[in-house]
Amino acid sequence: MKIRTITEDYIRDLLAQDTREDGRGLLDYRPISIKTNAIPNAEGSAQVTMGNTKVLAGIKIVVGSPMPDKPNEGNLITSAELLPIASEHFETGPPSPEAIELSRVIDRGIRASGMIDTKALFIEEEKVWDLFIDVYTLNYDGNLFDAGTLAAVAALSTCRMPRYEDKKVVREGNIGMLKVGNPITSCTFAKIADQIILDPDSNEEEFMSSRLTIANDENLVRAMQKGISGAFSPKEIESMIDITFDKSKELRKLVGNLKE
Amino acid sequence: MSGSEKPELIINGKRLDGRMPNQLRDIKIETGVIKNAVGSAYIEWGRNKIVAGVYGPKEALPKHVQDPEKAIIKCRYAMSPFSGVEDHSRSGPNRRSTEISKVTREVFENVVLLEQFPGGEIDLYIDVLQSDGGTRAAGITAAAVALASSGIPMSDIPFAVSVGKVGNQLIMDMDKIEDNYSDADMPVAISPRTGEILLLQMDGNLTKSEVSAGLSMIKEAGETISKIQREALKAPYEKILERYKE
Amino acid sequence: MQKIVVPGEKVVNTPVRIENTISDKNGTYACVIGFFDDARKILIPLEGVWQPRSGDTVIGIVEEDKGTMLIININAPYKGLALTKFLEADITTGDTIAATVKDLEKGGSVMLLKPTKLQGGKLISVSPSKIPRIIGSGNSMVKQISDGTGTKIIIGLNGIIWLSGGKMDIATSAILKIQEEAHTSGLTDRIKKMVSNTKVQ
Repeated sequence: MKIRTITEDYIRDLLAQDTREDGRGLLDYRPISIKTNAIPNAEGSAQVTMGNTKVLAGIKIVVGSPMPDKPNEGNLITSAELLPIASEHFETGPPSPEAIELSRVIDRGIRASGMIDTKALFIEEEKVWDLFIDVYTLNYDGNLFDAGTLAAVAALSTCRMPRYEDKKVVREGNIGMLKVGNPITSCTFAKIADQIILDPDSNEEEFMSSRLTIANDENLVRAMQKGISGAFSPKEIESMIDITFDKSKELRKLVGNLKE
Repeated sequence: MSGSEKPELIINGKRLDGRMPNQLRDIKIETGVIKNAVGSAYIEWGRNKIVAGVYGPKEALPKHVQDPEKAIIKCRYAMSPFSGVEDHSRSGPNRRSTEISKVTREVFENVVLLEQFPGGEIDLYIDVLQSDGGTRAAGITAAAVALASSGIPMSDIPFAVSVGKVGNQLIMDMDKIEDNYSDADMPVAISPRTGEILLLQMDGNLTKSEVSAGLSMIKEAGETISKIQREALKAPYEKILERYKE
Repeated sequence: MQKIVVPGEKVVNTPVRIENTISDKNGTYACVIGFFDDARKILIPLEGVWQPRSGDTVIGIVEEDKGTMLIININAPYKGLALTKFLEADITTGDTIAATVKDLEKGGSVMLLKPTKLQGGKLISVSPSKIPRIIGSGNSMVKQISDGTGTKIIIGLNGIIWLSGGKMDIATSAILKIQEEAHTSGLTDRIKKMVSNTKVQ
C-alpha cells in the first residue's frame, strides 16, 4: 500500500497560515480545464480536470418508454462510477454508497435547475427519449462533486439531439443540439479544524470533518448535500452560500465559453 | 445489429474507410495519463479510445489468493456505458468482459517477472471509453505500455491485433462495421522478442492456410505497433533530454 | 554511448549477466525501462519498485501496535515489522519512523531494526528508482540541498523522504526536479543554482 505522505498536522499547520499544500488560498479552485466532444460516439461528452482530479461525462440519448405516472415526459438517468483505475482505494464491484451519493447529488442539481426539460423528450405515445448521463472517474484527487457536475453540464451544453424518423433514430448528419436551460454548477466545501476550504483535494478529504456541496444557478440555490459526520453552524452555511454565488461565476463562465 | 443488409465491405480493393486490406488504423499512445496509478497509458486506435492503468505490486489480499512463490495479476477490462454509437450499455461485468479480462491477464502472466514479488498483487485496469471494434487487442497493447512505464520488470512488451476475413480476403485490424459482417475474426497477442503467441482467439471460418497467412500479417503489423509502443514509452524522457541538449 | 531502452529491447548481442536484464542464446534484453550505458554495461532503471535489501534505510508509518510487534507501512508490497522490546518507548500507531532493513522474511514481510521516530516535518514520495540520484555519489546531491536550504533530510530507499526545517518548499522542489530529470547530465549544477542563496539567515 502506498504511504499517505501528508499528515493531518501538516494540513492544519498550513491552514493556520491561510495556505494549502499546493500554495492556493482557502477559497480557491485548482486549475480547471474542460475538453468537450472527447467521445464522439456519445451524443455529448466532456472531460474535466480539476488539479489532478480527472472525470469524463458521456451522454447517450436512446429511445425508451415513459414512466407510467409521467406518460408525456422523457427520462433523465444519471449514474456515476468510481472506477478502480482512478484510485487504489476504489474497488471493483457494485457501486459503493459513495458512488451512489455522487450520482444522486449531480442528478439533483441538474434536475432542480430545470436545465433539461423532460417534456421536450417526448416522441409519441409510449415512446420517449431516455437521456443517460454517465460520469466516469478516471483519476481521483478529491472534489468529484464539482468536477462531476461540471463535466455533466459541459457535456449537456454541447450535446447533439438525435431525431426520430420513420421509426428509426437518426444520429448523424443534419441534427440539432439538445435544448438546455441555464447551467447549474456546484461548489463543495470541506471543514478541517474549524476552517472552511473550497475544492478539497484527496488529502484534505481524508482529514475533513464535514463537507457541503451547494448547487446553484445565477439567482437561486438549487440543491445542497452535507456529508461526513461533522457539523456546520447556520452561520457557516450562510457564509458558504455567499461564497458559492461569488465563486460559481468562474465556473459558469467556463461553461458559457463552450457554446461560442 | 442494425438489421440491415450486409454492406459491401471491400470495393475496388479498398475498405469502407479507405484502408488497404493489410493496413492498420492510426495508432497513438500516451503514457502517464492517470496520476494515481504507478503506470498508465491512453491509446487511440482508430476511433477506439482506451485507458489502461496499473497499481501495485502490493500485498495480495485476501491472504488465501496469495502465491508465496510469485505475484498474482488481477485484471479488469470494462466498457463505458457511452462507448458505442447506438445503445447505452449498463456498466458492470458481463460474460464478454469477464472472458476478455481473463485472457488479458494470461497474456501478462507470461511476460511480467512475477517471481520477483512473492506474495504480491499487480492490478491492471483497462477501461474502454469509446469503442469501434478490436478493443481487446488495443486494450492489451495499451496495458503493455502502462506496465512497462511503471518499471515493473517484464521479459517483453507484447502487442495485440486482430485479423479478419471478408469473403476470401483477409483483412488487418477490423473496425466495428467490418467486425459485424465479417466471416472470421482472429485476435492475437504476440511477444515480439520471441515471436511466441500469448493470446489466440478465433470465430467464424478460416482454412489452415488462412490461419498461417493471418499470423504472418499480424507479425508484420506488429513491427509497426511495437515501434509505436516503444516510442510512447521513451517520449517523456527524451523530451526532458532535449531540454538540456547543447 | 547511453540510450533509453524498454523491456524486450536488445542491449548486448550475446547472453551476459547484467542487473535488470534477461538473456537467451541470441542476446541480452532489458526488462525494465532504463538508461543503458554501453561502455559500463549497466542498465539504470528509470522507473521501478523498491526491493528490500539488508541494510537499506526506509521510512514508514506505524499502522498497528500489536503489543510485541509494530506493523509498519513501508510503501512496498510487504509489511514492515519491528519488535517492540528493542524500541524507544514512545513509538505508536500513526508515528512516522526511519528504520534499517534486517531481512525479507519468507512470509513476505520485512523485519526492521532500530526504528526511530521522526517528529514533525513532512514526507514526500518519489519513485524509488530515482533515490540513488537524489542521494548523489557520496551523498553529494542531498548534502547540497540540505546545506543550501537548511532543511534536514532523511532518505528512505523505499521512495519516502522526510524533510524538516529550513526552506522546505525549495528543498521539495529540488528533489522533485531531480526525480523528473534524473536521466540528464548537468543536474548537479542546476540543483546548485536552485538551492544557493536560499539559506536561512
